[in-house]
Amino acid sequence: MAEFSLKASRVQPGSWWLLGIASAIVAGLNVDPLALLAQIAILVTIILLAREYAPWSQSLKFYLALATFVVVVRVIFRILFNLPDGSTQIALTLPQLSLNLGFGGNVSLLGDVTASSLVAATTDGLRLAAIIVSIGLANTLANPRKLLKSTPAALYEIATAISVAINLAPQLIESLQRVRRASSLRGRSKGLGALAGTIVPVLEDTIDKSLSLAASMDSRGFGRRGILTKKLILSVRLISLASVVFTSVGVFVLLVGTGLQAAALGLLGAGFICILVTVRMTSKNSIRTRFKKETWLLQDFVVASVAIAAVSARLLGWQV
Amino acid sequence: MISIKDLTFSYDRAESPQLTRVNLEFAAGEFVLVCGPTGSGKSTLLKAINGLAPHFTGGKLRGKITIDNQDVTGRLPHELAELVGYVNQQPEGWFVADTVQDELVYGLEQLGFDRERMAAELSRVTKMLGLQDLLDHPLSFLSGGQQQRVAIGAALAAGQRVLLLDEPTSALDVDAAAETVDLLKSLAKDHGVTILVAEHRFNNLLDKVDSVVVVNNDGTVEKGDAAWKFDEDLRQGLFNSDEQPERRQSISGDWALTASELTVSYADQVAVSKASLSIKAGEIVALQGANGSGKTSLLWAIQGTGNGSKAVSTGTVSVGSFGDPRDLKPRDRLKAITMVPQRAADLLFLNSLSEELSESDRFAEVSPNSTATIFAQLAGKVNPALHPRDLSSGQQLALVLALQLVKGANVLLLDEPTRGLDYVAKKHLASQLKSLGNQGKAILLATHDVEFVAQVADRELHLIEGVIQ
Repeated sequence: MAEFSLKASRVQPGSWWLLGIASAIVAGLNVDPLALLAQIAILVTIILLAREYAPWSQSLKFYLALATFVVVVRVIFRILFNLPDGSTQIALTLPQLSLNLGFGGNVSLLGDVTASSLVAATTDGLRLAAIIVSIGLANTLANPRKLLKSTPAALYEIATAISVAINLAPQLIESLQRVRRASSLRGRSKGLGALAGTIVPVLEDTIDKSLSLAASMDSRGFGRRGILTKKLILSVRLISLASVVFTSVGVFVLLVGTGLQAAALGLLGAGFICILVTVRMTSKNSIRTRFKKETWLLQDFVVASVAIAAVSARLLGWQV
Repeated sequence: MISIKDLTFSYDRAESPQLTRVNLEFAAGEFVLVCGPTGSGKSTLLKAINGLAPHFTGGKLRGKITIDNQDVTGRLPHELAELVGYVNQQPEGWFVADTVQDELVYGLEQLGFDRERMAAELSRVTKMLGLQDLLDHPLSFLSGGQQQRVAIGAALAAGQRVLLLDEPTSALDVDAAAETVDLLKSLAKDHGVTILVAEHRFNNLLDKVDSVVVVNNDGTVEKGDAAWKFDEDLRQGLFNSDEQPERRQSISGDWALTASELTVSYADQVAVSKASLSIKAGEIVALQGANGSGKTSLLWAIQGTGNGSKAVSTGTVSVGSFGDPRDLKPRDRLKAITMVPQRAADLLFLNSLSEELSESDRFAEVSPNSTATIFAQLAGKVNPALHPRDLSSGQQLALVLALQLVKGANVLLLDEPTRGLDYVAKKHLASQLKSLGNQGKAILLATHDVEFVAQVADRELHLIEGVIQ
């Protein structure tokens, strides 16, 4: 069998998504800024080591830029809408502004900023940043087209839409670069906004490309389906209704949280099973077949178990 | 095999129908060229046969189409998928998978073939198209000709008896285009596939096809054999250069552009190595070479803007008294040396022709209507209220040429200017370039269009794998 490798294309896209989602959950529950920074560093290292050349794998820097932006905005907002947090350690002394908006009394902006509030804001920002980089990991390493192949038939249309959308992002960047190069050949007079010369050609390009892809898929038989019997349609509707009821009641009980966790988990489990059954049943009207069997190899089990281990460790209260 | 009766097709907001009362019959294994001026409805005719028109294009279709004795009028493209294969203008935008094998089986998967039949069809189609060695290759690494073969294979994988191709050779270099035409011929002759090809560049097709359909501007069509009509009408139009301006006999002795030892590389890959060339004022030089030979990289490096931040160029370039354009400020550079990139429309972004023209006057700091005057010389009278996207490809190119020339540069670089132009527009472009040459502009054009080079160029350079021969 093929040898062990952690390069992006050798691991199932599902495993990368599992790792990304697990990492996002861990980040969401984390309260330690240093641990969050370490997590981001680990994620970036994994991306750099595993990624290979592919159109969707070139977007790391955009995720990092977005993550940085989120942290900065979070801190700026904390300084701007400054509420006393009871601490006396002042890190930053700024003049306090008091605004009367005509309702709800005075609103105060700026003022003395405590060290603890800055740390809290940074931690919040880092948490979001780590979640963004986690999703970035899944997006840069998982091949969206291969992921599409392993979705159940009933979800195929939705998965296609998502995959086209994911594919579009790097294409947008590509056309953006091309159009910007082209417009530097023409120049632009001062009266025109900087975006004027790029948006129109890029949008046109993107729409053309997606329409062309859609036409191509349709011409080759995408969108064909078999026949569902009336009886089957009725039962699918009933079971999916049941799944909605089970999951919403389950979530409600869980959030109210009055010692009924076991019941809530039971309801959620029932809801989940109903969802699986509907997906299974509606997949029957698909006539689509697959040429290659996708099999999980050693590397997939390694990636998946790292993901599961990280989440379980966090849920059981250990520090990672 | 295909029978079209009283087909009339009109787009929703169009004044006149795109196709008018079309009656055509095609036999099994017939190899057909569909030609006609740009915008005449060649593509629409093909799209109507597999349902893309009206389902993807909008519009209204009347009449009746039957394929293999089945009435297919109004059916959706995916309902016809095993009857008709369709290959789009640009295969790279039409691919749905990453590797050759995945692309070939995609249609089979959608149509629900079981694994055994899929394997059988896959081996049949790879053998038929000679793709055995490419099955595991990523599509983006293939040459243009190979991509075209994969696109054809994917369209025929389910055993389709009808193959429709929209401009299959327009983006290919000469050898790849000839190879594609031979392949189509053998598919029709040896495998009995009915093939309809819509194409501007039909010179190498005329000797190979069984019949020709001409779509006229008024939406009517005529059908005949290949010899019919062409020897007189179109071939004349294509090669007769009576109306072309006389080229000035003597080209002045001054070098307008010299480049020496120019090397362009991207990260770890050398695109152009040690290219040296010189062009005199008033001279038209054609830079020829296959797709991927480095023509585009060389032009961008000479112009000085550079093809993206990853392109690094070394060596020297000198444009008359301006020196090296790479050392000039962007605005000054555009006054020294100007370029029209492969997709000229990328330079257009305003809402009307008149806005584009006056923006150009403002940027170039010239008196109002200067750009409009040049544009009128190149394209004649055009309604200034039109949206730039509604201009024909030829008019768009003329507009971009006018925008670029008004800045006063004496050196003009053009990257594949004939892409998407029909024979009339090409002939027109040839005469525009010749008069620009007569006005003393030095012109370097990168192209793989041999016929066009024969019409305009004073001299040819050949670029093979990044080296000027």
